[in-house]
Amino acid sequence: MKMSFSYWFKSGSPWVWLTGAAVAINVIMVAGLLILIASRGLVHFWPNDILQADYVAPNGSVQQVVGEVTDSEDVSAIQLREAGLEIAEGVEFVTRYLLKVGNRDVTGADFRWALEDKLTNKRYPEQLFASERREWGNFYGYLRSVKEAGTEVGSYQSGQDPESYETLWNDLQARIERAEGIYGQISDIEKGAIGSINYNIERLRLKQRAYELKGELTPEILADLNAEREINNREYEVLQEQLIELYGLFERDSITAETGEGVVVEMPISKIVHAYRPNAMSVFEKMGFYVIKLWEFMTEDPREANTEGGVFPAIFGTVMMVLLMSIMVTPFGVVAAVYLREYAKQGPLTRLIRIAVNNLAGVPSIVYGVFGLGFFIYFLGGNIDALFFPESAPAPTFGTPGLLWASLTLALLTVPVVIVATEEGLARIPRAVREGSLALGATKAETLWKVVLPMASPAMMTGVILAVARAAGEVAPLMLVGVVKLAPSLPLDGNYPFIHLDQKFMHLGFHIYDVGFQSPNVEAARPLVYATALLLVAVIALLNLSAVSIRNRLREKYKALEH
Amino acid sequence: MGPTMTNVNSVTPNMTTKTHAINLDNIKRDQGVRSLDQETIALQVKDLDLYYGEKQALQSINLDIPKNRVTAFIGPSGCGKSTLLRCFNRMNDLVDFCRIDGEILMDDSNIYDRSVEVADLRRRVGMVFQKPNPFPKSIYENVAYGLRIQGIKKKRLIDETVEWALRSAALWDEVKDRLHESALGMSGGQQQRLVIARTVAVKPEVLLLDEPASALDPISTLKIEELIHTLKKDFTIVIVTHNMQQAARVSDYTAFMYMGDLIEFGATDELFTTPQKKQTEDYITGRYG
Repeated sequence: MKMSFSYWFKSGSPWVWLTGAAVAINVIMVAGLLILIASRGLVHFWPNDILQADYVAPNGSVQQVVGEVTDSEDVSAIQLREAGLEIAEGVEFVTRYLLKVGNRDVTGADFRWALEDKLTNKRYPEQLFASERREWGNFYGYLRSVKEAGTEVGSYQSGQDPESYETLWNDLQARIERAEGIYGQISDIEKGAIGSINYNIERLRLKQRAYELKGELTPEILADLNAEREINNREYEVLQEQLIELYGLFERDSITAETGEGVVVEMPISKIVHAYRPNAMSVFEKMGFYVIKLWEFMTEDPREANTEGGVFPAIFGTVMMVLLMSIMVTPFGVVAAVYLREYAKQGPLTRLIRIAVNNLAGVPSIVYGVFGLGFFIYFLGGNIDALFFPESAPAPTFGTPGLLWASLTLALLTVPVVIVATEEGLARIPRAVREGSLALGATKAETLWKVVLPMASPAMMTGVILAVARAAGEVAPLMLVGVVKLAPSLPLDGNYPFIHLDQKFMHLGFHIYDVGFQSPNVEAARPLVYATALLLVAVIALLNLSAVSIRNRLREKYKALEH
Repeated sequence: MGPTMTNVNSVTPNMTTKTHAINLDNIKRDQGVRSLDQETIALQVKDLDLYYGEKQALQSINLDIPKNRVTAFIGPSGCGKSTLLRCFNRMNDLVDFCRIDGEILMDDSNIYDRSVEVADLRRRVGMVFQKPNPFPKSIYENVAYGLRIQGIKKKRLIDETVEWALRSAALWDEVKDRLHESALGMSGGQQQRLVIARTVAVKPEVLLLDEPASALDPISTLKIEELIHTLKKDFTIVIVTHNMQQAARVSDYTAFMYMGDLIEFGATDELFTTPQKKQTEDYITGRYG
């Protein structure tokens, strides 16, 4: 037996098992992580059935509870008994539900716990509806009437013919759609036309200030500026009137609805984003609704302190920041690597520089954030403002955190990766190919430019891939150099000069932190944290995959190295 | 194939025999070879010493390379024949700690003179290496590379030169239909002829071949040797080879080197039949090396 064990040990199979197990553990961890955030995040958009039940309160009174079951847990009976609840003898654990009851405007809290055995007469009435609102979170209840400009145009009382409820419901849906259309027009005007007028007026102000500072503000120029300003103001007034009219139309309709407890609430339809009756929906209808919700999550702006709505500005900010970072880091890293590998005399100094570069990759990222704030923003940005934007002082232009500085800071953070990868790529180019080029009368620079660098380009892409992977997930330094909780506009829009590098932006990583830890409504925000995390992983994976596909194409083109 | 076949047949028996004795009767040779002092000299090596750091690799070499002839360097591994070859286009400049004393004259001017532009020299003295080293570009772009480096932009001129160079390298018929495919898809022998075409395209005066056939199969080797025969008309060729039969077959003059010294230099026929030095005789009869 002992012989066979030592034989088995020598044969190397323990190592095979050990290494295999290590890989398996890694795969399980990665898969587990993805499954966890996917399952927690993705169920958030599913329209759950709404439960209505009688709840026996500890004092014996019976309340109506209406809400979605979002979580359940087993609680020890002893703990409950100690809390003064009556639990039957012999019961060890009691199931407790977390119900999302909504109606924060009525009850003050939109989540509550309920013990399973205190919930009786559970039912899922088809008439119950949920509405997603622009304020106060979800509403759950029964539709009672629809009003147009204050006058009732349809109503339904409990016990009447269900058909008439359907009619009323369809009327509501049509009115929501109408309001949605008007809302679209309103936001087009507010964000588009009025946004660009404001931008123009601000530019005129800065222009005037610039002339003043230079002492060249002649009455003619002032008159010109005022004339232009006048044009903008007139346009603004026209739009303002349009807006007032649209708002009038938008806020025309309202509904009354009854909560589970029997409180009747009136709410304007303009505040409703969706109204749906999950209990009356088939699985396919629910799927359709799910897809719509998921799409909204990815394409719309956040609402309600980021706990509702979408994360589009954060996706946009993340991608744009990463792309800018790649554009900055690639030439910088490649040039540095070319000098280190091709031109610098290999000696103690280059070795020292190489060690420094490698160690730079190990500096905690928050340190880069501090550096970015101190050097880029306060020093560089401050000087840029003083030199080029004196007219906007004391308001800073580049002397404040922004997209440019965030990208630059992350470029600095990832440059060692690009340098190391490029250097390795350059070292792998066969000497024979370089000599072949030199022997044809090419200079060293020509050889580098025409033969060596193209052949090393897959290695550079490897560096960029690693840089993107690191930069896209980085949050800590960004909090110092440009990321905000809510950016009023995207850094890329239709106003000249189209890319606003000085603007602050939103980022998925920071969004996760903000929604998860800074939000006023933690329970409501928790699924969004998972969903946003999943989205961040997906965005990084997508960015990486595109870089990988570029690299593979380059590899195919310059596959001499595999010889 | 075609006209080259006659010559190929005449050398084939030597390729397959394993004897060290060289049978010169089987080798067809141009009749125009004169004795060395009647030749025009393309390159003149004068008192050349070469050091790698402390170690001396070449010791006072004196040698004349005749124009439009094939000169072969033979000798055991490490004897300095490749090092000497690489002196002619200053490839040794790339080696750190390499120091050279002495002169190499080309058209009466020293190629190691400060005023010489290395890139210009290398255009005049082309080189083909042991392993085929095509660039990861198309066949056409490989041949056009040297021309583009010189700043030639006219497409017609480049087209013509590429075709001429590929014809010179006996490759045109094989690749004319796939000029724009990657050069890396060719066989080793084709790649080596492509590299020769690439070198020929810039029209150098001297062609340095550093064991051009050592990485190739016998058939490809024969084609390269054929090529050397034809290219001799237009170029001065210097070839390094460890294969004595090859030296005997392709060269007009042979230099035998040993331990960094030039032991003997003369017409190939004479060197192989009546060597003047004991070391040469030992080497060519296979007693060492």
